[in-house]
Amino acid sequence: MSVNQVGEYSVAELMVTVLASQLHDDEVAIMGTASAIPQAACRLAQLTHAPNFSYIAGGTCSVNPYQQPLVPSACDYRLLRAETAVPLSDVVLMEGRGDVFDIFFAGGIQIDAYGNCNLVAVGSWENPRPRGPGSVGLPFLSRVGRVLIYTMSHNPRTFVERVDFLSGPGFLDGPASWEQAKLMGGGPAMVVTPLCTMTFNPDTLRMKVATVHPGVTAEQVQEATGFQLEVEEPVATTPLPTHQQIEILRAMDPDGLLR
Amino acid sequence: MGASKVVSASDAIANFVPDGAFLTVGGMHLHNNPMALIRETIRQGKRVKTLLTSPCGAMNADLLIGAGLVEEIITSYVGFEHLGLAPNFRRQAEQGGIRIFECDEPYITHGLYAGAGGLPFIPLPKGLEYSDIPKVNTRSYTFVDNPFTGERVLAGAPLMPEVAFIHAQISDAAGNAVLLGAQFLDRLMALASKHVILQVERIVPTSEISEHPMGTTIPAFLVDAVVEVRGGCHPTSSHAFYSYDEEHLREYLNKARDESGVEEYLTQYVHQTTENAYQQSMAERISALSFQEG
Repeated sequence: MSVNQVGEYSVAELMVTVLASQLHDDEVAIMGTASAIPQAACRLAQLTHAPNFSYIAGGTCSVNPYQQPLVPSACDYRLLRAETAVPLSDVVLMEGRGDVFDIFFAGGIQIDAYGNCNLVAVGSWENPRPRGPGSVGLPFLSRVGRVLIYTMSHNPRTFVERVDFLSGPGFLDGPASWEQAKLMGGGPAMVVTPLCTMTFNPDTLRMKVATVHPGVTAEQVQEATGFQLEVEEPVATTPLPTHQQIEILRAMDPDGLLR
Repeated sequence: MGASKVVSASDAIANFVPDGAFLTVGGMHLHNNPMALIRETIRQGKRVKTLLTSPCGAMNADLLIGAGLVEEIITSYVGFEHLGLAPNFRRQAEQGGIRIFECDEPYITHGLYAGAGGLPFIPLPKGLEYSDIPKVNTRSYTFVDNPFTGERVLAGAPLMPEVAFIHAQISDAAGNAVLLGAQFLDRLMALASKHVILQVERIVPTSEISEHPMGTTIPAFLVDAVVEVRGGCHPTSSHAFYSYDEEHLREYLNKARDESGVEEYLTQYVHQTTENAYQQSMAERISALSFQEG
């Protein structure tokens, strides 16, 4: 991953600092497969502005892993360098209870205008191209405080008007269906990509550009997106990582997963 | 104290895995996959009618599928995490070569719990019905009326595999098993399955296990056979013992891009080698991947 020319940070590190800024003291977050980016964000938040924030890392279900070091696999043994760990079945129980977890980090091979995610199939489910890996815990997006979506792929194949297969509920088909469903969860709050951050228009529940990363224009974001994005001009620039944040991230990431 | 159930991998598969079984394989993602038992299943050409993975299957499912032995799969994920999609699962899914019972993690967890506890079905938390998964898998999911409120709720069928392959780091000869790292859903799998074949890194005296009785993950009376294979999870990891072999996994993913490459991999690493020979050839690599805990 290339280091941004403007300052000494990579795009992934910028995404980590943006995600960290969304995490607050006393909240609890969960995340799944290949989740180095949100794990780094959670640990960074703990080490800076949110010391009482907690997080559960993937299938190992370690609680507050120390990230010594940050690892790419969500079931890695090294994640047990942590405060403690809980059985996976207990995490599924708490996800079902629905009032334990404030944040669920999500993603997909498709993400649509209403923040619905798809990890199962592009095309029809019977005849997929490609067949995705599967949904794991993503249907629980319906029962979590708020959803933070992240992806390293910002292109029109990933960002589509409507997912071909809904495996992680966002705002469903928009305001009417969302209101009717009366889901326990608050729905998607933010989307972070290598190009920008996006939030959701509270009236239409559609994705809109919130900030563009340094050197990226709103036009480039629209070109990389398979549906019409709302943009409020002038569009703000994503806040840059601080030297302190980068120092903390480099210390937990000797293998350079974020570089 | 129970009698020894220690057998070779080939005897365990020959004696406890019927042809056309409902099999579940433990481990999750790139970790604790009971690969020695899976390679032996492929050597013996045992067909699997139904394969159930943990919430996240990987090499444990993809290799069996690549060997052409799996008729249908109950899963919520088969892939290789940051290394990529599962080549054989993907190809067979796209070509219609395997019947998929699409699931999510909550159903696999609660379904195993129902199977373990004799529950005829299990209601699932509200909200899960908003994914498309229950629509395409009506064998595992249906709707029932909540008898207390009258509300329509999603429900799942119990999961009761005939055989479970579980990897534990240590056990005694009778099968009192200790998972030294994460347990994933392996304990629930053992509780829900009719037969359990345990693959372990090391067999220890019962006295060592009973020093920490609450640390035992699976009691011996649930276990039918104990197979000791050091490095038996390779190329996946065995928590507390060794990490996954990324180079070997990438070799597999590259080869498995097409069917002739899968055949080549299976010939080299499964059919033309015994498990002992495989372990000998990999010993140096596995040793280099060992966790050096201070």
